[in-house]
Amino acid sequence: MASLKRLRSSSTESDVQSDVETNVAVVTKRPWNVIVWNDPVTPMTVVVVVFRRVFGYSNNKCTHLMLTVHHEGRAVVWSGERERAESYCVKLQVAGLQATVEQDE
Amino acid sequence: MAGKLFVRRRDGRVEVRLNDAGRGVLREAFAHVVAAERDPEHDWHLSLNAPINPSRDDDDPLSSLARQNEIATNAELSVMTLKEQFLNDAEAWAWLSTLQVALRSIAVVNGILSDEKLESCEFELLQEIRTIQQLLFDLAACF
Repeated sequence: MASLKRLRSSSTESDVQSDVETNVAVVTKRPWNVIVWNDPVTPMTVVVVVFRRVFGYSNNKCTHLMLTVHHEGRAVVWSGERERAESYCVKLQVAGLQATVEQDE
Repeated sequence: MAGKLFVRRRDGRVEVRLNDAGRGVLREAFAHVVAAERDPEHDWHLSLNAPINPSRDDDDPLSSLARQNEIATNAELSVMTLKEQFLNDAEAWAWLSTLQVALRSIAVVNGILSDEKLESCEFELLQEIRTIQQLLFDLAACF
């Protein structure tokens, strides 16, 4: 009986821990992405300058992201928690870029 | 358009080297953005994606919201500083942001959503877009 109790207890703790780990995994694996969309009128240099100003990225990274937007029609420019993603999205929109937020699939 | 239209000086200010015609282009663009912010019936209103606010907020959305209510929008700041010959960094950024908003609004309301559509639009509209792009290009070089 004693051994059965130990087994039950151990088993229950394990289940709880497993549930917690699963939940954490779900949250951390699905970040929110800030997406910038291409448009035919915005000068490339403006896009680079806005990325540098809003995110503080290096010039190389900003240029790379800008070219991704230009060639692929969109680019994920930042990923992370929802509130910060929304804040960055607003900043990009305020600077005149077309930006949206979506959760990573 | 020989020479730069905007120059970043050593003291950090941005010198505006526009003549009356150049400032006239900016005046019209800024005025449209301010009007669109205030008037839901304005043609450009729907192309404004979000409240326009000065862009050096921290990452707290509530803080950003509070500041939006306390100080002028980028477009309003741009209108207020339109006659200045020298802009500080925040003012120059407000000009760039407002001009970019104006450019995208012009594109959206005229259905210019592709390169082909841009090249096939009316000459006068294309000239307006190219002029604003040139101003943005020169201003962006200051950042």
